Amino acid sequence: MKKFYTQREFAIVIAIGIMVLLFTIVNPIYISGGNLIDIVDQSTINGLLAIGITFAILTGGIDLSIGSTFAIVIVTVGKALGAGINPFEAVLIGLIMGFVLGAINGLLVTKMHLQPFIATLGMMSVYRGVAYIFTGGWPVLNTPGFFRKMLDGDLVGNIPVSAFILFLVAFLGYIFLKYTRFGTYLYAIGGNEEATRLSGVPVDKGKILAYAICGLTAGLSGMVLLARLGTGEPTAGQGYELNAIAAAAIGGTSLSGGKGSMLGTLLGAILLSALKVGLIVAGVDTFWQYIATGLIIVVAAYFEVIQSTLGKIGLTMSKM
Amino acid sequence: MENSAPAIIFDRVSKSFPGVKALNSVSFSVAKGEVHALLGENGAGKSTLLNILHGVYPDYEGHILLDGREARFRTPQDAIKHGIAKVHQEIQLIPEMSVAQNIMLGYEPKKIGFIDHYRLRVMAENLLARLGSDLDPMSKVAGLSVGEMQMIGIAKALLHQVQVISLDEPTASLSDKEVESLFRVIGELRAQGITVLYVSHRLEEVFKIADRATILRDGQYVGTYAVKDLTRADMIKKMVGRDVSAFARRNRPRAFTDEVVLRVEHFSRKGVFSDLNIELRKGEILGFAGLVGAKRTDLMRAIFGADSRDEGHIEIKNKTVSIHGPRDALRAGIGLIPEERKTQGIIRYMSNADNIGITCLEKFTHWGLLNHVQKRKNCEEYINLMDLNPKDPDYVTDRLSGGNQQKVVLAKWLSTKADILILDEPTKGIDVGAKAEIYNLLESMVSEGKSILLVSSEMSEIIGMCDRVYVMHEGVITAQLEYGDLSEEAVLHYAMGGINK
Repeated sequence: MKKFYTQREFAIVIAIGIMVLLFTIVNPIYISGGNLIDIVDQSTINGLLAIGITFAILTGGIDLSIGSTFAIVIVTVGKALGAGINPFEAVLIGLIMGFVLGAINGLLVTKMHLQPFIATLGMMSVYRGVAYIFTGGWPVLNTPGFFRKMLDGDLVGNIPVSAFILFLVAFLGYIFLKYTRFGTYLYAIGGNEEATRLSGVPVDKGKILAYAICGLTAGLSGMVLLARLGTGEPTAGQGYELNAIAAAAIGGTSLSGGKGSMLGTLLGAILLSALKVGLIVAGVDTFWQYIATGLIIVVAAYFEVIQSTLGKIGLTMSKM
Repeated sequence: MENSAPAIIFDRVSKSFPGVKALNSVSFSVAKGEVHALLGENGAGKSTLLNILHGVYPDYEGHILLDGREARFRTPQDAIKHGIAKVHQEIQLIPEMSVAQNIMLGYEPKKIGFIDHYRLRVMAENLLARLGSDLDPMSKVAGLSVGEMQMIGIAKALLHQVQVISLDEPTASLSDKEVESLFRVIGELRAQGITVLYVSHRLEEVFKIADRATILRDGQYVGTYAVKDLTRADMIKKMVGRDVSAFARRNRPRAFTDEVVLRVEHFSRKGVFSDLNIELRKGEILGFAGLVGAKRTDLMRAIFGADSRDEGHIEIKNKTVSIHGPRDALRAGIGLIPEERKTQGIIRYMSNADNIGITCLEKFTHWGLLNHVQKRKNCEEYINLMDLNPKDPDYVTDRLSGGNQQKVVLAKWLSTKADILILDEPTKGIDVGAKAEIYNLLESMVSEGKSILLVSSEMSEIIGMCDRVYVMHEGVITAQLEYGDLSEEAVLHYAMGGINK
């Protein structure tokens, strides 16, 4: 087994630790319970998107349409709730919708052999258009209070439901990747698609499933935002796919596929959120956020390079 | 040749990597204008030695003298400037540019700051002429054969007035005809006083082309010999340090029966192969011989369902089966060990346990959940059976040696319990010791009642291992030979399109 300290996840935990330490020195409020909860709470929207996109990236693909899927689900569920549909059924509708929209991406990538980048770039625009047409460009208002409490209230004390959802989904994702055969297939497809196909693995099915899961979590993420804001905008989620990719990449997911983990992505999302909250607490101008986020991504990518070099040296040492 | 001053002297050259001594005080000299072969198993240190000479590893102990002067190159470019060039196994060319542009890339002749296309073509033509190549300098590189691309690589080296050219496994993907023209070019180089360092696993070629050979074993210098003083068996013995008499030879009784397990009928694909009929018997090693372009791999991929076919019918144990994808083949009990291990066999980042288990995860799945303990157990079983090195289910397969990777690909199909195995060039690029182990595995597989389709371009394998051989030529089966009738001459005759004698 790999040593725990050579694992990517360990490095992110260290990075988060250092960050917490620095921000606490600048402003001790940062370490307070309320603020730490806030950090996790702030990471839920991006975290759910990032978990989903990790599945697509693992297969060696990408899904640029998640921000638009997010918006479609927001306005559809918003309208359904407005029409008096039971909140549980509304959530189910939202999940199915996200799943189907994702599966459509998967079909384009597998059955039509489109490059994932182009296919989902196209669907990003199509889905966004659908969200606009469906609402006529107007926000969907009057989200019932029960729905809002259900997805964004407090679970016990001041632990938010949305944080619980994030961890639950990450856990389910972990179980899927580690303990189902399709989980292994997704890594295999990203590692070497041709070899995987020649091993008799249902490659197309695996890929469609990955994109469908990606759409599913995008839908769930959208519903959390709907619950949080109380209104659903067809413009919601623009550019969110990039934050999601950033979280996955920081978490050690290789953009060429075959490598990555749920824990890494979850920690990546939390790290981004910890940075954002920290800069606010430290009173830094919000414009600096962009620079800080960008630098973190670059540093994380470079870290990957260093780590793999160290890994190789470690390997030759172990041959002794 | 022995009398002229040596082109290269290696003087007590050593190189260590953390934990491994790759070269241990290697000393020998290479005469000017000779073709000098470097021989040894994988890991013997040939590549390390070449990498040191070409400036890839600037940190080493000992000295290298070129024409009597000490040289130590920091980068491959540095080496080229001093007249030492390497033609790579995989040549990097720009497909959309012409032959001439590729040869002159980075060194284009200029006239008032702009590329002088006329001179560029003339210079490229001259270089090609020096090689005796009839390649058109104006044709696009896209669409050229590997052999022709190699010519471009060599011409590029000549551009730099090189004194020494290294060729690392240059014939690995050449047809026989291309090998011949490569040898002619090597002859030209020798005649022009250029020294050629030649690394190859194919000993026949060494006999044909090399003047002398230096043999390395485990980073140690074994000796330098005039090739004409050695026999093939001598060479192998020195390379492995033990007698490999069991090499590509059947050691157990033939295992084939009369029962036909696979019948392939009327297989055709337009422009590739037409109306092929094959019968495979239980316990048989059925060989497919042929030259490059015989379409043996295409046929195998079509049987396995990896490629489509226009026409054809498959029966397994006298029952028609429908195979239109690898998954169908898996279910029908057919496995494929593909030709390109790196791109088609091994999955990057994955452990041995996963690379072996990938074909049969259903077996380890209960109530939808994967049992990692069972998967590892399965892996350990095959690791022991195949004597994998290291015997570690968690080791990343990518980092194993070629021979060990091949064992992993074999194991992934053995663990499906497939009865019919297609092996496409199973010993390509792997060392002598691992080859012998693979041959041994083939024998134990057929003795257990499995049946094998073996595509091989190594004559010794076809003649030594097969019970029966189909010889193919350009998509057609030209002969069927029983093991008693197999001879190099006969196989070659039919492989080159000969009709029944």
